[in-house]
Amino acid sequence: MEVLIQQYPWLDELLMGFFGLSWKHVVMWAVGALLIYLAVKHDYEPSLLLPIGFGAVLANIPHSSAVSTVPGEEGFLIVLYNAGIANELFPVLIFVAIGAMCDFTPLIRRPSVMLFAAAAQFGIFATAIGATLVGFSFEHAASIGIIGAADGPTTIYVASRFAQELLGPLSVAAYSYMSLVPVIQPPVIKALTTESERKIKMGFEGEEPVSQTTKFLFPIMITVIAGIVAPISVALIGSLMFGNLLKESGVVDNLSNAAQNELANLITLVLGITIGGTMSAERFLTFEVFLIMALGAVAFVFDTAGGVLFAKLLNMFSSTKINPMIGACGISAFPMSGRVIAKMALKEDPTNFIIQHAIGVNVAGQVASVVAGGLVLALIPALAK
Amino acid sequence: MESAFSKAVTLMTVALPTMFAVIGVFIVATKALHAAFPAPIEAEDDEEEYEDEE
Repeated sequence: MEVLIQQYPWLDELLMGFFGLSWKHVVMWAVGALLIYLAVKHDYEPSLLLPIGFGAVLANIPHSSAVSTVPGEEGFLIVLYNAGIANELFPVLIFVAIGAMCDFTPLIRRPSVMLFAAAAQFGIFATAIGATLVGFSFEHAASIGIIGAADGPTTIYVASRFAQELLGPLSVAAYSYMSLVPVIQPPVIKALTTESERKIKMGFEGEEPVSQTTKFLFPIMITVIAGIVAPISVALIGSLMFGNLLKESGVVDNLSNAAQNELANLITLVLGITIGGTMSAERFLTFEVFLIMALGAVAFVFDTAGGVLFAKLLNMFSSTKINPMIGACGISAFPMSGRVIAKMALKEDPTNFIIQHAIGVNVAGQVASVVAGGLVLALIPALAK
Repeated sequence: MESAFSKAVTLMTVALPTMFAVIGVFIVATKALHAAFPAPIEAEDDEEEYEDEE
């Protein structure tokens, strides 16, 4: 073959794809195909897993021009990575879109639900500790823990600062487990609650309607408070609340609609395929990635347990009992977690409608996960010194 | 590894209570905001009717 290539140098150019192919590339095609299959066949976060899956295929074709790093000939996935992930632009823009989609009314009606959301961030910190025990550095462990925020953009934001080389697996773990909430949460909740606890009904006493002025001022107030506590979180919480302000102002419906639709769709599209582009075989087929996927599941389990156990703790001191299952909605996987828990309550007792409470806690989870992300962002550099 | 472990424990012991404190401030501020700008009952009813029509 070498003689042939020496005689016909153009053969090398034509056949370099075959010569560069290894079993690792084929395994990564299978990983990409699996993500596409889960998206198409099982509807698991399809708008993200499908582009991620295809991006993984593009990144694992030998000498792929899509991920070329040759100066002056950078592949489009590298250009997108530098334009939107290395500088944290895409996650921030996604937050604007999420903010425009959020309705914080249930949270404003009953602000105490934010406590459940805070408790449900326990998985972040427990997983970070666990990750250090299996050998990860502190920065990487904290970034792995953030999977427990159950919030893809926060995971990407933190990883792009402190664990760039783990960005692909961290994102895949975050989005995969978010889509697996209906599988992960119910057994954990059942293990931690009794049947009578799951049947507790919750009323709506003392909950007054929310004025438009309150809804409008709420995002500004949260941004200022969170910003003062952790200035580093302003980009995250500020973009989330900016999107919400567009919606609640009522005067820029065109911008609000653009954020909810065009912006959300466009950024999701480029974000997904760019993350997929980081999943090269050399980075992905490692024992570290296997550990990250396992730790991601641990994070979701601890989040759920944290929320449920906190609700049970409150029940010990409160005369008005809370259905402890709503504590599990404090994770940020919105609205899936709220729906899953509401369904569980209906399954236990067909007359028990806790959907409004569950969604309220779930919306609070959006805010709490960003606050947790902000605190982790602020503390990693301080503690890593 | 021990150092990373102790940093992660410190992260938890600092961040978790801080988060509850921040959330506590959010709760108090949200309650104050809600109380300062109460919604006229009729307006809410109208809104619900409008949503029902949709």
